[in-house]
Amino acid sequence: MTAATQRMEEALSRTAQGDRSAFEAIVREHQAMVFGMAYHFFHDASRAEDVSQEVFLRLYQNLRSIQSPVHLMLWLRKVTSRCCIDVVRKGPPDREISLEESLEPAQAARDADPLLSRRLQRLVASLPENARMVIILRYQEELELAEIAQILEIPINTVKSRLQRALETLREKLAAVLEINFHETS
Amino acid sequence: MRPLDEELRSALRRQEPPAGFVERVMARLAAQAAPRAGWAQVARAFLGWPRLRWAAVGAVACLVMAIGVVQYQRGQRAQGEMAKAQLKQALHIASSKLNQARKRVQEIDRRSPQS
Repeated sequence: MTAATQRMEEALSRTAQGDRSAFEAIVREHQAMVFGMAYHFFHDASRAEDVSQEVFLRLYQNLRSIQSPVHLMLWLRKVTSRCCIDVVRKGPPDREISLEESLEPAQAARDADPLLSRRLQRLVASLPENARMVIILRYQEELELAEIAQILEIPINTVKSRLQRALETLREKLAAVLEINFHETS
Repeated sequence: MRPLDEELRSALRRQEPPAGFVERVMARLAAQAAPRAGWAQVARAFLGWPRLRWAAVGAVACLVMAIGVVQYQRGQRAQGEMAKAQLKQALHIASSKLNQARKRVQEIDRRSPQS
């Protein structure tokens, strides 16, 4: 058992006994995962924060059903996915976010192009909601197809086809964007 | 440009929320955990004390008895009213019969004054 898992296990049992500071530790530990998923889904920090808060409030109400740190991760990913998709289905259409409004990509890789990263984030946020969540779970959370299928409660073949279709769309859109940029700069 | 997979991995990294996120979650949690007590909660809390529980049981028993007494009195009164009405009607019938008999007697007396 890793130190982080042990820490989470302790935090879970302390929270179950009513220790609020232990719950605070759980939120701190998982906030980047939950907020990141919501942020990449909406490409809107304010909506992402609303959804993330909602997810953690639901977690507090359902703490008794959480059996282990692994279960906690699965639960958080599941509920975050569901909340994000529900917001899109029930709420008004996504608003266009300008590049200036978007948050800085977190801990960008050394050779990553920040402008390209932002463009990709916007393109991901423009995908249909189901495909969008598959992409986020695959590339932000680096999950296997079977794990994504478990979280979204869909067959693994559906995950595979959604992922392929989403990647094709992203490639096409990205190529179009880069071509426009190339023509603009040359 | 690197392969799309790699670009996506670096574009879609986990993202820290704006500062104060945890505090905002905890504040919402505190607000939810202490909702204003509704009447049901107040009643539940009240009944949570053993002595008060017996007092409440006694009060409810008294109330039930009082309602029973009032209902009984109402029933008695209704029966009395009914008997009164029946007696009135009987007296009315009796007086009308007496009137008829008296009229007959007077008529017979008028027809045969000589005898």
